[in-house]
Amino acid sequence: MKAIRNAIRHGLRFGTACACLAALANAQERWVVRAKTLYTAAGEPIEDGAVVVVNGKIVSVGSGGGAGETLEVAVVTPGMIDLSVRIGTREYSVEQTTESAIEYPVEETLDLFSQRWETQLESGVTTVLAAPLDMDVFGGLCVVLKTGGPRTLQARRVKGEASLRASLGTQPSAGNSVPRGSPPLDFYFRRPTTRMGVEWVLRNAYYDLLNADRFGLAVDARQAERNSILRRTLEDGLPVFVQARGTQDVHTAVFLKEEFGIQEMVLDAAAEAWMEPELVRRSGVGVVFPPFPPTGRIPDGFANDSYFMMWSAPARFHELGVPIALSAHGADEIGERLAQQAGFALRHGLPFDAALEAVTIGPARMVGVDGRVGSIEVGKDADLVLWNGKPFEPTSGIVGVMLDGRLVVDPRSKP
Amino acid sequence: MNANLLRSLPLVWCLCASSSARADPAGGDKLVIEAGRILTQAGTEIENGVIVIENGRITAIGKADEIKKPWDAPVIGGPDRVAFPGFVEAHTSQGMDRPNENVEVAPFLDVRDSVDPVAFYFEDCLRYGITTINVQHGNDCVIGAQGMIVRPVGLTIEEMVVRPQYGLKLVAAARGGHSRATQMQTLRQTFEGLRRYLEDLVEKERGERGYAEREALFQGKELEGEKKKGRAMEGTAWKVDGLELVPRGAIDEKQAPLLDVVEGRRAAFFYCANAADVANALAIARENGFLAKTTLVIAPACWQAVDIIAEAGTPVVLQGPLVEKRRDPITGEEQETFVPGVLRDKGVDFALSSLDGGPRSLWYQAALAVGLGLEREAAMDAVTKVPAEILGLGNDVGSLEVGKLGNVLLFSGDPLGVTSWVEEAVVEGRKVYDRREDVRNRHLLEGIQPPNTAAAASAEEPKDQDAAAQTRKEKETEETEKKDGDGGKREEKP
Repeated sequence: MKAIRNAIRHGLRFGTACACLAALANAQERWVVRAKTLYTAAGEPIEDGAVVVVNGKIVSVGSGGGAGETLEVAVVTPGMIDLSVRIGTREYSVEQTTESAIEYPVEETLDLFSQRWETQLESGVTTVLAAPLDMDVFGGLCVVLKTGGPRTLQARRVKGEASLRASLGTQPSAGNSVPRGSPPLDFYFRRPTTRMGVEWVLRNAYYDLLNADRFGLAVDARQAERNSILRRTLEDGLPVFVQARGTQDVHTAVFLKEEFGIQEMVLDAAAEAWMEPELVRRSGVGVVFPPFPPTGRIPDGFANDSYFMMWSAPARFHELGVPIALSAHGADEIGERLAQQAGFALRHGLPFDAALEAVTIGPARMVGVDGRVGSIEVGKDADLVLWNGKPFEPTSGIVGVMLDGRLVVDPRSKP
Repeated sequence: MNANLLRSLPLVWCLCASSSARADPAGGDKLVIEAGRILTQAGTEIENGVIVIENGRITAIGKADEIKKPWDAPVIGGPDRVAFPGFVEAHTSQGMDRPNENVEVAPFLDVRDSVDPVAFYFEDCLRYGITTINVQHGNDCVIGAQGMIVRPVGLTIEEMVVRPQYGLKLVAAARGGHSRATQMQTLRQTFEGLRRYLEDLVEKERGERGYAEREALFQGKELEGEKKKGRAMEGTAWKVDGLELVPRGAIDEKQAPLLDVVEGRRAAFFYCANAADVANALAIARENGFLAKTTLVIAPACWQAVDIIAEAGTPVVLQGPLVEKRRDPITGEEQETFVPGVLRDKGVDFALSSLDGGPRSLWYQAALAVGLGLEREAAMDAVTKVPAEILGLGNDVGSLEVGKLGNVLLFSGDPLGVTSWVEEAVVEGRKVYDRREDVRNRHLLEGIQPPNTAAAASAEEPKDQDAAAQTRKEKETEETEKKDGDGGKREEKP
């Protein structure tokens, strides 16, 4: 691993695939990670701070040292979290037989061998929410998982059934055809075909639940399972992540939340949510922003339309007290990854602490994993990002990454 | 929406231009720039500095208390500004209506006919601090059109031009739908064709004196002055004897730019998509004696040929991402290579180029390169001094020194800092950009619709139908009045 980091500094070839394997061999019982500035995302930054890690967990935060292998870097932050990572699932993981795949767990379709997890890990993203592609109205149950470690769900899963995925707008109906010349009962004719239809599928699912409850209708096992999941969104705070890119989609999502009393809702890829700041604040939803578009415009991709994301939207929502998270949508390109998105958020007016929060503890709270990840606090997972300068500046490099106490990228190899 | 925004664009420039020093008759062409910090890119950093620009060039630069400021010059900047030389784009095909001509060998074309002065790209150049741009034909050709160096200022190509008919694009990478062998054969044939054409011309001239001149006349060219003179062929690789007999102006337009390249009078920008292309490009340049005037425009994958680039001594312009990724076909491992690091280690002079015209332009590429391990100084040079040298503008741009052009950016902080913005941009002593007047930037940051756009109009329109109709009527009357009183209106302006 040391040789690998050396290689990138010298511009030589290096293999990322072996990073995890190397890290396994590199596992240490006890680490002391010292930083000139320690941003914990749980209070004020600590100057000349140290994090002590034992068996993958943080056991002390402060100036304490003691035994253990010591790392010294300029800055340490918590591992970053991306709630809209959009990797690991492919087209064939979209369920074709139903538009409301409520009870389908997305974790079973994930390709943990995809190279893109490692790219995320090395760029400092240690935890992600994996959701299906938004081709169905209800996409299924999402999973929070680590981007590294053994390639099994058991090892990487932080929280299964962490949220229910839904999508509004053009995407769920894109490609669905209107039956012509034959009755619309055929399996091959997919609905909905309009925006109205998309909204109806969403509403219909909740009506089914409410009707079954109100009239004591007998339902089959499958319907019972779907109803139990939907009931959790109304009673147990299971968050509903809704892709709502345009203003109209934001309206629809918020109205659905208020109509049915959905407890926790997060608007994902909400490019135009900024146009309705008061509505968003009042409704209590969280917002996950898409990557900052260079011209402000994000093409719809399915309709001849585009969405305008005001660059300062994260800053404005932060001022309003709306929970926010940033996302890079799993970008591979250097310069477009999550750390850089946080940098652009700074550029567009978000204060540093809020930007840090929007890629760490903020998203952790949205999916209810803030007890385990998202900040540097005693008892939490030792997911750390080690920097050689002020975080999120493009001129700063990520020189080290620690995941569950294992050093995945080693800062000591930096010349 | 785009059309509306575009229409509002000239307005910004006109406003900026009219408020500049150039229009001020009292001060002449003078401008004083004050900055809390001046990063000169000439080895010095000046605290509380002043830059004096007269007639487009820097006449004085130094500490505020050591420089005598002309009393009649307008002053811009302030203690919270950081001054930096304008970025130099070493090679781009942006700003043209379409970058690629369908003809594979097209040196008779000129990008000046394709550059669109009101292209959004040039506005973005000012916004992100690029003040000198080398526009060359796209990469999907064998030999492209003649390029030109422009400044992103002006509404006509005449105003924009810095160096007309500068450079020629050559491509070693196979153009779409063709093989590399075809590409190389066409390149060789083109130069072979040039040699045969010249020999033929000389032979005919020897046979019947005045042949070339009559031929030119037949093509509608009047030869006067320099054009009427013949000159022995220069160049190092091959020569055609007796070319001095032929008036230079009589040489076919399809061949003349190629002859310029062979004689070393015109820069060649040779595009390579991968390492194999590099060797081919260098071979063509050597065979025809223009290696010394060649700049390689390389895609990231070309780093594998870094040794032969270093040996050839040609500078390069890196086009595309800073990191090259490839997957090992057998192990499946992904390998990442930080290309500027490879170039630096082998001592190759390199310039970075923008990924897009917007926020991911030169400042961002330089900043990212620092984050990936390039020294800050080398990264800064790769977007200022090195491209200036590549373009032969080393005495004009790339640093802030007495005698150089007054291309100055005023940043709100460190030029590579993520929260820094170009607040004002000065090109040759004229203030041409002011972020406070940048309507698009305000739209992106504050959600405010630019004036004269459909969205702005609908936002202003009163909700009440009757009131809306009333306003429309009023507007119409106003417009009619405006038309009538147009002459009077114009006189109001200074």
